[in-house]
Amino acid sequence: MSSTSTHAEVTAADTAGRWPVLLLLASGLGWLVISGIFALIASIQLHSPTFMSACEWFTHGRVGALAETSFVYGWAANAGLGIALWVLGRLGGATLRAQNWAMTGTLFWNLGITLGLGGIATGEATSFAFLELPRYVQPLLVVAYIAIGISGILAWSGRRTEGTYASHWYAVAALFLFPWLLIAAQTMLLWSPVRGVLQPIIDGWYVQSVFSLWLAPLALAGAYYVVPKITGQALPSYEFAPLAFWTLLFVGTMTGGRHLIGGPVPAWIPTLANAACWMVLFHFIVVALNLRGALTGGGTSLTFISFGLLAYFAGAVLDAVTSFRGVALVTQFTYFTTAQQQLALYGGISMLLLGSIYFAVPRLTGRPWNSGSFVRGHRVLAMVGIFLLVGSLAVAGWIQGTELSNAKTTFGEIAGRTRPWLLAVTVAQGFLLVGNILILVNFLRSVSDVWCAGAVSQVGAFRQPTTMEVHAS
Amino acid sequence: MSTPLHQDPRLDQAASTDESLLAAHDKLLGKQPDEKGSYKLPPLHLLFFFSGLIFFAGTYLNRYSGMFDPRVYNENTLPPRGEIVVAKLDPLVLGKKQYEAICITCHQANGLGLPGAFPPLAGSEWVAGSDDRLIRLVVYGMTGPMTVKGVLYNGAQMPTIGKVANSQYNLSDDKVAAVLTYIRHEWGNTGAPITTDQVAAVRSKEGDRKPYIEAELLKLN
Repeated sequence: MSSTSTHAEVTAADTAGRWPVLLLLASGLGWLVISGIFALIASIQLHSPTFMSACEWFTHGRVGALAETSFVYGWAANAGLGIALWVLGRLGGATLRAQNWAMTGTLFWNLGITLGLGGIATGEATSFAFLELPRYVQPLLVVAYIAIGISGILAWSGRRTEGTYASHWYAVAALFLFPWLLIAAQTMLLWSPVRGVLQPIIDGWYVQSVFSLWLAPLALAGAYYVVPKITGQALPSYEFAPLAFWTLLFVGTMTGGRHLIGGPVPAWIPTLANAACWMVLFHFIVVALNLRGALTGGGTSLTFISFGLLAYFAGAVLDAVTSFRGVALVTQFTYFTTAQQQLALYGGISMLLLGSIYFAVPRLTGRPWNSGSFVRGHRVLAMVGIFLLVGSLAVAGWIQGTELSNAKTTFGEIAGRTRPWLLAVTVAQGFLLVGNILILVNFLRSVSDVWCAGAVSQVGAFRQPTTMEVHAS
Repeated sequence: MSTPLHQDPRLDQAASTDESLLAAHDKLLGKQPDEKGSYKLPPLHLLFFFSGLIFFAGTYLNRYSGMFDPRVYNENTLPPRGEIVVAKLDPLVLGKKQYEAICITCHQANGLGLPGAFPPLAGSEWVAGSDDRLIRLVVYGMTGPMTVKGVLYNGAQMPTIGKVANSQYNLSDDKVAAVLTYIRHEWGNTGAPITTDQVAAVRSKEGDRKPYIEAELLKLN
């Protein structure tokens, strides 16, 4: 039976390398809940400005920065790295190497995030979007990230097969590119700041690159692995996957200038970004074509990935449409841009990552998730929450944008007219927070089963996978 | 296990092994011909679509980039073309500005100077007299005693104004010409205007030198 053991879905190679991945996923889910609490407070303050305003630490500017930072660097970074390491390990066909590096790096990364959030709360935040973490923790983050990344790079360079797969490209690109992004941005904005109007240009580039060159590739690395694993079908239009990858890398980061439409920058910078917004649609279309098998499949992972895929695609189309200056005239600098960001980061990246997490954790623990009803509850709450969050923010932003151009409307009236939609945003943040608590508790219970009861795995629950065949298309 | 196991929300089953997943997709990207010896064409509609996006983006960039000029902030305009035209300033306006910035301290707004200390410009024979003398006096300055309208001025010194060595003001030739034209036009003075070329000619003839004394200037016509 040696041939079947090599084809078993859960092998000793998986369980031997599980702790770095589980630590990353646990940190990510923990930060997701914490960032949800901050986001809930921030959303309440939008319609009830006096809420917690007596406490300096929880004034709106700081809570907003805390929510954003803990979401991007706490949740998305940890979860994305966990999934990337796991996928690279699985595809490498061997136990994850340099596990101590990854574990130590994860601890220091999260130490840095904790210190940085404390710094933001006490008023030491920088003034740059996505780069609010105080200057003094940023070098630590670079070093910690590289330590985690080494494990993934070793799994990639030491892989058993010569060829590479789409998940390899996206994961390795994210591992290599993020240190460069962070070093470049913090050098030019914090250590040796460039002057004047160059600062928002560089920050716009950084914000977009965090999405296009780091979080999106991490999420896609997981999705490109999980979808064909579950459907058992080779990806359709896979011949275009390399082109989609390079389009994202080269063109995706050029779309950063769209954050500056209407700002005091030379006209060619937003224009280049708008053209890039349309060019990069090629990436999104090919990804949607490649992964469209997820839409037909059932099960937890594919439900999350389908939702994430649709949101990822819708977010790109929305970015392209609002990049036209006529549309941006209304939407720019309103809640609408927040809606776009939440659609991309929460609807797209997070749902893709959650789909991969639902697939990965049973293979790491060697047993199914602890509670099925928690999984169902999270699924419903996450989907309803994101629909409500993005929809309400978009409507509020559209009202805000059209009324701001009307000289006869006062700010008070605008606040009054957007208030019902902002209340809906708070409800949505509540749904999302409860859903995220469900997956955190479910995750901790699943892991503690293994941690405390020893490695009593239920390998029998895993169906034996078969060989994938390439169909002539 | 015929029941569809993916109905269990706690566990998603895998349908294919990692090895076969890698092999199958490697084959899709591979450039080897298939059994019939023919290469697989990538879907044409995607290529058309991609070309369409490139065409649109290129047109948009061409139309709204302001030719990538850093001076263009409105995407509907083009950068300024042709030679840059500098508006010609009225020498009287330019001269008045220089006079009020520099000369007015001693010679006063009414051009009468201060009796006993600074000589007047209004009705002065030095202002109305030789062009060469007046230009040299202002560009290089002057030391020592000086007689204006029959009055001896002993304590004052005319500073070096023009763009020459050790100048206190470094005024360009056109500004010197403008201020000279101005003082020949004000306070009832009626001299001819001084041109930039005249100032430049004097400066190139004399080069860098120390301020004049009265005797040297009186030798000139």
